Amino acid sequence: MSAAAPQRRGWTRGQVLLAFLVLTASIASGLAIYSSATSLTNLSRTAFSVLFMPLFLAFVLSFLLAPPVRFVEKSGLSRTPSIFLVYLVLVAVGTFLILSFSPNWQSLWHNLGMDLPRYADKFTGYIKDLLILMHERFPQVKSYDLSTKINLWTQQILSATLARTPGSALKIGGLVILVPLFTFFFLRDGRKILRAFVSLTPNRHFEMVHDLSFLISRQLAQFIRGRILEALIIGLVVGFGLSLADIRYAPVLGIFAGVTNLIPYIGPIIGMIPGILIAFVDFGLGGQFWWTVILYILIAQILIDNFILIPILISRVSNLHPLLVFFAIIIGGKLYGVIGMIIGVPIVSIIKMTLLEVRMYRRTFRLPESALDMERGP
Amino acid sequence: MDPIWSNIFRKTPEQDSLAYFLGHLPFFAELTAKEIAFLENLVHSRTYRAHEIVFEEGDPGSGMYMIRSGSVVIFSRDSQGKEDELARLGPGDFFGETTLTAPVQRSASARTLEATELVGLFRADLLEAIESNPKTASNILFGLTRIVSERLQAASIEIRRLQGMLGGHATPETIET
Repeated sequence: MSAAAPQRRGWTRGQVLLAFLVLTASIASGLAIYSSATSLTNLSRTAFSVLFMPLFLAFVLSFLLAPPVRFVEKSGLSRTPSIFLVYLVLVAVGTFLILSFSPNWQSLWHNLGMDLPRYADKFTGYIKDLLILMHERFPQVKSYDLSTKINLWTQQILSATLARTPGSALKIGGLVILVPLFTFFFLRDGRKILRAFVSLTPNRHFEMVHDLSFLISRQLAQFIRGRILEALIIGLVVGFGLSLADIRYAPVLGIFAGVTNLIPYIGPIIGMIPGILIAFVDFGLGGQFWWTVILYILIAQILIDNFILIPILISRVSNLHPLLVFFAIIIGGKLYGVIGMIIGVPIVSIIKMTLLEVRMYRRTFRLPESALDMERGP
Repeated sequence: MDPIWSNIFRKTPEQDSLAYFLGHLPFFAELTAKEIAFLENLVHSRTYRAHEIVFEEGDPGSGMYMIRSGSVVIFSRDSQGKEDELARLGPGDFFGETTLTAPVQRSASARTLEATELVGLFRADLLEAIESNPKTASNILFGLTRIVSERLQAASIEIRRLQGMLGGHATPETIET
């Protein structure tokens, strides 16, 4: 626009007319682009929300499977057969685990559906008793009908979960097909895809972008592998420990604890609630209850996670401020529900690590931050 | 020659291929065809316009460039910003090899003189290759090291010659830095 501005003061009539026409045309085309863009953004948003979850899971899985695939590849097999071999081994191991550890997964699942309301009922019963007790002690406190509220609330959650099960089953079915497929292509062509993206950068910045993409993807691989391995070990420890104490649903609780462990700060607390609840309702305040509490807090969280796993697996670089963790969980939950809550934090960690890597790169080479520094430089 | 046969045994496309170019570079001359094919997927082919900067002195360096076609001038700038031409390079030449293994800043700038096609080989790719295909990667590195040592030897001979011309006043350290 500034190039069109005339040198002398005052415009000729022709220039005014031209400016008027250009302005009108730009406003009209802007409006047209805006109106088409809203439908376009809607379209892309739908496409994104459908593809986001399988793509993200495949992305994580491909980072996880890259080392075994590379290991097989080193023995002389080419890439594609190596991936198939790893898939085959994975499916075999998974089937074996599921069949051998719990031959009655289906009945377990069914029982859980039956028992969940029972546990909730018992728990609200305890709370009701507690409230009555409190009311006797402190009659001046206004009687607050908490128990019915809690009852209503648990029922709402349960009915919502049950109502959404068919839909989420369809979604999970889609994931079961899409994720291995995407993972396969990421594993096979991941390097090519990354190269294609990097090669789009202009010549002047190509070298830096190429170098950075390598450094960042190496950091990411480490981070993702560390997190997943941590969750796996915690899940195994909790599952095994609970089954020692004959707590019901120990495998399911172990899986739950492992998955929620992916969320820092809040995850472990959420992960231990159902286990402690079941132990409390089934056994009261006995030895088994305390064993469960000790297992969750002392053994799984403090001993294994804090003292062993985190120092070995997780780099301090990926630590997030608790406030940032809350933001990530809330926004993730708002966008993608429960799964969004779980993956929100890792995504923010990934963004943070990328920024840090860029900053470290700048510092290593002491790149000028602005043109001013460049002039001052040697 | 029969036009049909010349069409079947066409030479130009083969000579135009990246593999042919790489195989005829001095450092990759001893690689097998399979290793050259691997290398072909490792390097980055990039086209530059005339008078385009490839890198500037002080940029983070992460690899070397080989000239496939066109020409490149290597220069440094003095404190006033005046350019001092160090070398002119043509097809088959290479530059920037000192930053391939060590992450250091570029010690000089490079600019194309005409429309140029460069083939880049970068540290990140080599590091990846070492993990996925160690044997080929070490062969590639071996070839590069050979050429770099040859250059180093030539440079030290040159230093000794210059030393002799100066009457032995200067030590090799002062010249190298």
